[in-house]
Amino acid sequence: MKIKELIKQDAGFQHVVDSMELMSSAGRRKMLDAEFLTDAEKLRDEWCKLEQAIQAVKEFKYKKPYIELRHCLMQLHDLQGTLSNLANHTPLNEVELFEIKNLSQLSQTAKEAIADLGLTAMLPMPDTREVFALLDPDNTGIANFYIYDSYDSRLAPVRRELQALQTSDGDPMRISELLAQQNEIQNEVCVRLSDQLNRWTDLLVTTMEQMAYADYLVAKAELAISWRLTHPETGDHIEYKELTNHRLKERNEKANLRYQPVDVALYDGVTLITGANMAGKTVLLKSVGTAQLMAQCGMYVPASMAVVKLVEGVVSSIGDEQDEMNGLSSYAAEIIKISNILNTCREHNMLVLIDEPARTTNPVEGKALVQAIIKILNSKSSTTLVTTHYSGLGSECRRLRVKGFVEGLADVPLTPQSINRFIDYSLTEDQSDNVPHEALRIAAILNCDSEMITLAQKNVNL
Amino acid sequence: MPFISNILQHRSLSIVGLEKNTGKTVCLNYILRRLNALGVHVGVTSIGVDGEQVDSVFATAKPEVTLYEGTHFITSEQHYLKRQAVSVLEAVDSRRTALGPLVTARVLVRGKALLSGAATTGVLRSQIEQLDSMGVDIAIVDGALSRLSLASPTVTEAMILATGAAVSANVKQLVAKTKFLHNLILLDEVDSALRDRLSVIPSGLWGVDDEGRPHDLGIASVFLIDRASTDLLHYGHTLFASGAVSDRLLRVLAAKGKGITLIARDFTKLFITPEAYVEFTRRGGRLMVLQRSKLLAVTLNPTSPQGFLLDSHSTCEILSEALQTPVYDVMKIEK
Repeated sequence: MKIKELIKQDAGFQHVVDSMELMSSAGRRKMLDAEFLTDAEKLRDEWCKLEQAIQAVKEFKYKKPYIELRHCLMQLHDLQGTLSNLANHTPLNEVELFEIKNLSQLSQTAKEAIADLGLTAMLPMPDTREVFALLDPDNTGIANFYIYDSYDSRLAPVRRELQALQTSDGDPMRISELLAQQNEIQNEVCVRLSDQLNRWTDLLVTTMEQMAYADYLVAKAELAISWRLTHPETGDHIEYKELTNHRLKERNEKANLRYQPVDVALYDGVTLITGANMAGKTVLLKSVGTAQLMAQCGMYVPASMAVVKLVEGVVSSIGDEQDEMNGLSSYAAEIIKISNILNTCREHNMLVLIDEPARTTNPVEGKALVQAIIKILNSKSSTTLVTTHYSGLGSECRRLRVKGFVEGLADVPLTPQSINRFIDYSLTEDQSDNVPHEALRIAAILNCDSEMITLAQKNVNL
Repeated sequence: MPFISNILQHRSLSIVGLEKNTGKTVCLNYILRRLNALGVHVGVTSIGVDGEQVDSVFATAKPEVTLYEGTHFITSEQHYLKRQAVSVLEAVDSRRTALGPLVTARVLVRGKALLSGAATTGVLRSQIEQLDSMGVDIAIVDGALSRLSLASPTVTEAMILATGAAVSANVKQLVAKTKFLHNLILLDEVDSALRDRLSVIPSGLWGVDDEGRPHDLGIASVFLIDRASTDLLHYGHTLFASGAVSDRLLRVLAAKGKGITLIARDFTKLFITPEAYVEFTRRGGRLMVLQRSKLLAVTLNPTSPQGFLLDSHSTCEILSEALQTPVYDVMKIEK
């Protein structure tokens, strides 16, 4: 899977990608084409490159080599079309030749900057001086381009005569003739140059891709610094200290709301999460998913400590998808999705995230379904996180509970607006098979209809 | 050598036509030739893509622009590859137009070329900056069909207005239409203190009180004006429209009261008809602008694309009289 496919499945990951400040469209393409890696060796290599890039960015932030590199990357054009013309022996036109010359000069400047940043080993840039020399027959050293007189001995006399006639308002027929001659020679030169450049196609493609990768790497490093991301370690389980969902954090900051990072550890098999409404169970699920995608796409993760167990993919059933358009009820859409997830897990080692399964059907069968899902997933090597409001599932699995609403947690009056400040989002191991009953209390705090709440309370007490 | 010395006092110039076929390109060619003779380093570009070699509406020949040695020009890749001038490519933009990326080049041997550019004033501004960075003395922008926005004083410092038989074969109508736009171009400016205060306002309709302080009237778009319940004259009889001014706004204001002054950004924001303007001024209304365009000249093309020919001498005279400004026949000054 590539990043461009993964962002469609995960809005949090989309936010990560949108927050990257790429300087070129080629860099953006490189990022979207980056793979979800399952090979530990490759991933460590990618993290190691990122680590070095971060150190270099920190050290040289406002200094010359870094500014120079960014300046080069800003001027980078995506020459995929031109380079494929070159590979296919389609003659390049003047503008394309200019682009090649520009790339060959730009990459040499970038190469020097990369060396000054101490990143040559991880960002080797090919030597394009021969390409530049071919396109700079007069040794100007400048990345301007036209079909220079020195490319063909016939050009200078034609142009001299043309100039003389143009300046003196000479015979228009002769001018047309000369223009046609010039164009013919220019076209011949373009064909010849394209032929000569053809043997450097691979070199130029590598140059282009390395520049694009440099852009992506620098953007990753900048994001890692500004979000204070962490270098993950690989392990046999998943564990985060202060896991942060940046999408939510930014939204909360805008609304002047508190954001609380969470510590969480997950092991093979199923971990069941319980907790009152509004306690952040769904957010936790999403945060774990996004962090896994970030890690396995070679990024750092939003936590202060991170251990990542490598999986073959992340699958989830989180209930905010709209399937009504497909003519399915919310229950039907969900159960088909979960069934697909179970099928995938029979053969693959996945990270599975299921938010309140079977919540839209009757509680008797719903509970039975959840028990079945937990039993099946518990026997697989996948790591599964399931949230639920069902009590008494009796299943053999690890349980975590969000601490949730704590009276007196904040020193302000309790109102629907301030309720967020009374919730402790941290997780605690839970041995009991009961879920917290706080639905009515929360409804009361939210100033919901008092008759409804009183009646409901009576019903509970029966 | 009419109006050439005026041009040299400005860093950028736009040539806009009241209609297609009003002789913009002839006028541009004249200016380029004169400036070349004076040894001025010129940069030239266009807004939008208006560059078929043959005018596709009327199938008349569309003259290309002659570029002289040393001139910097910006055009699209497709037009660049068809040029007759010998020139050196100096930059290629990463933004693409329908005709490929925009390229910047310097002329080595004079010759003709078709000019094209981006269709938005934002990109046009960066095109002018690009030419500036190449060290040109003046950047000239060739206008395209029905695009006045480039003549905004926030885009180009000075402008030339091209009119002609293409606007109307009836001299009276030609004069009336040209005069109306001419009046809008020459609307009075507010004083600089008020301009500084109003120019930073990004959007909406604002009331300006006696001390010159702006107050938001809470109307996001003037197109919703007749549904607004706000008292438009709460802060006084002076209003500022940050965006477009429409007939509807003028009519609503005319109905609201007498002697209202409406301030617009500049004449390119006025999308109004003579009828609505007359209605507004009859009620004592007055239009003003934050910034007035510097109109350097009005040119006339006596030939219409249908082949109709106006009498050059008398039409120029009638127009000059009506506008109180010299009007030049582009076909004659070119010779």
